Amino acid sequence: MIEIHDITKVFQEKIALEKVTFDIPKGMVFGIIGPNGAGKTTLIRILNQILIPNDGFVKYNGTLLNEAHVRSFGYLPEERGLYREMRVMDQLVFLGELRGLSRKEAGDKAMKWLQKFEVQDWAKKRIDSLSKGMAQKIQFISSVLHDPEVIILDEPLSGFDPLNINLILNEIEAFKNAGKSVIFSTHNMDSVDSICDEVALIHAGKLIAKDRVANLRSQHKNGDFKIRFRGNVIAFANALWTSFEIIESKEIGDDLREAVIRRRGNETFNDVYNQLSSALELTLIEEKLPGMQDVFVKVIQEHNQHEE
Amino acid sequence: MYLLKLFKNTTNMKNSLIIARREFMERWNNRSFRFMLFLGPLLLLAVIYLLIISGNQGKSNLNVLIVDPTGLFEEKIVSHPSESITYYFYQDYVELEAFRDEKKFRTYDAMIEINEKVLINKKVFLFYRETPNVQLKMKLKFEVERRVEEVMIEQFTNLGIEDFRKIKQPLNVDFRDVNDPLNQSENEIAWVGYSLGYLMIFFLGIFGTNITRSINREKANRVSEVILASAKAHELMFGKILGILWASLLQLFFWIFIIALGLWVFEYFIFSETLGLGHLEGVQVSDQGLSQFGQSNPMMNYNTQMDLFFHRINYAFLIPNFMLFFLGTYWVYSSFFTVIGAMSGDESDGQQFVIPIWILFGVSIFAGYNAVQYPDAALTQFFTFFPWTAGMVAMVKITAGVTVVSYLFLLLSWLIMVLVGAVLLYFAGRIFKNGILSFGHKLTFKLLLKWLKI
Repeated sequence: MIEIHDITKVFQEKIALEKVTFDIPKGMVFGIIGPNGAGKTTLIRILNQILIPNDGFVKYNGTLLNEAHVRSFGYLPEERGLYREMRVMDQLVFLGELRGLSRKEAGDKAMKWLQKFEVQDWAKKRIDSLSKGMAQKIQFISSVLHDPEVIILDEPLSGFDPLNINLILNEIEAFKNAGKSVIFSTHNMDSVDSICDEVALIHAGKLIAKDRVANLRSQHKNGDFKIRFRGNVIAFANALWTSFEIIESKEIGDDLREAVIRRRGNETFNDVYNQLSSALELTLIEEKLPGMQDVFVKVIQEHNQHEE
Repeated sequence: MYLLKLFKNTTNMKNSLIIARREFMERWNNRSFRFMLFLGPLLLLAVIYLLIISGNQGKSNLNVLIVDPTGLFEEKIVSHPSESITYYFYQDYVELEAFRDEKKFRTYDAMIEINEKVLINKKVFLFYRETPNVQLKMKLKFEVERRVEEVMIEQFTNLGIEDFRKIKQPLNVDFRDVNDPLNQSENEIAWVGYSLGYLMIFFLGIFGTNITRSINREKANRVSEVILASAKAHELMFGKILGILWASLLQLFFWIFIIALGLWVFEYFIFSETLGLGHLEGVQVSDQGLSQFGQSNPMMNYNTQMDLFFHRINYAFLIPNFMLFFLGTYWVYSSFFTVIGAMSGDESDGQQFVIPIWILFGVSIFAGYNAVQYPDAALTQFFTFFPWTAGMVAMVKITAGVTVVSYLFLLLSWLIMVLVGAVLLYFAGRIFKNGILSFGHKLTFKLLLKWLKI
């Protein structure tokens, strides 16, 4: 587990992070989310000891974060690149050695990864002869070559082509299943919904929310339900009575409709079922939770209002 | 401080070595680098070769007609005729046009006109069809001059030739340093030291800018942060400096070896005649006369320099000291090049900010010249201890010869260089740490100060 305690980082007079404190549990995909310039990259650089905080400290598995810990991390920075004139294998071996592998180990592991991605033929190619997408794969391999316990990916989905994004998402899933921790920074909320188990939302250098994704979505739900039914629309509207309002309604098949309703009070899922089941043939009732994009906007708005 | 931090554990050193190896291999894998290992010194040897043969151009064997209507030379000129010049005497007047056009004179390459006034006005004309080379010119001049001298001795004195030449010896006022009465320190050897210092600056210039360029390229490639996730900024910086030093030393070794080998081949195989004393064959001169002759003869001077280069320099002492001061000077300058690379917003920034370093190189070259000409001047003493010029001055002094005390002073200057270099590298490290992740910014002095403070 990674514990972040009261981290403050100031660049000249600009506060990049202010007393940020939270834990990152082991074995999950953890998202550090926030708008551009929120301080995500600064925090990630601190986790990698590229930057030293002005105040606060980080603990890894109960001890203060040290160089040995960081060597067991994998890191794909947002500003990423490779030595263009080096050959693929030389590059991977070089970066593997810097992560503490022997030359032979680094070479063996690099070849395994190249084979896994079915690109072993590239081993002797120079980076500058690869396409951007090809180089991205090598970049990703270089960050996980040493079989890290913690993988830190800073904006991994920006700049990568869709095929490589898919590849990265699959690997993130595989790392998680192998019990490793994945720390994932992004401002792209769509990916957070599908990947992250838990997130910390940073805004203007401050932590403004931290919870499991499901909890955050639930906490910020609007009381919307998605209903799919067969029957008359008027009967549907009448059945809702005054407790719900219809947000949208559309026909999706022969005599099959889908609607989104929003509760007016504290009605529950059971209330919806009870009110509709007697009047209509229901095929689906689903509580509609907000996406992380909506949660993100809402949390920041609430925070800004609170600050004012 | 910085070094202690760097070497506090083996991981630090290991990372720096891994980075250094990559830097070295990057250069080694570059075809032009490998090419220059050989091409550079070979080009330099080619220049030396051209310089030597430019003095050897023209005819190398001459048939010389001495037109001596008054019989002043009595058909004598040298006791042992040489292979390169054959003299023929003609005791009548020959018009220049006749010599130039008439068939009977065509076999002669040159004509020396000895007129009756030669003993008064000391003027002799030599007309040639094709320019003789420098050696032959000097030899002709020397042999005719000696014969005129003999004739004058016979006509105007009662002295024998040997006695006259003893008297003729000019007073040799030999300037010697009171602290160096045996004249161990020699000006001409000092120039060899100056050349070595120059070579040192040349290599520092090439490889120092390599440091700057390498940092800029890492920034442009956006690979810096990937490395910094695995290695500390100071490890990256030191590894870079070390790797480029290895490449620089390799190049230096190749240059020194190939140039030394080439000069040896020149002396013993290609220009053995030219650079030996063979061209004075047949001239009976005393040792003193020979050395006197040498003082006024550029070819002889060149020969002296070759002799100096091959026989009079203590390489066993010079080479280790060259390496020592090369490392010290590289250490001092590398921090500058690192800072420029780290603080550059783009590559053109780097080029612009290298100018102050080139100025320092210029000062260093001046310091070397000053040390040769005025070894004990106050300015030279200052340059001895000024870290950016100390290497150059040390080369001049060490090659010229040093006493134990003055050598200890040079070691002290080396120590100052290393300490100043360490302090500069400490600050360079601070700037590097902050600057390495910055690219595309506008470089200002204010920003530099801020990076120093963080």
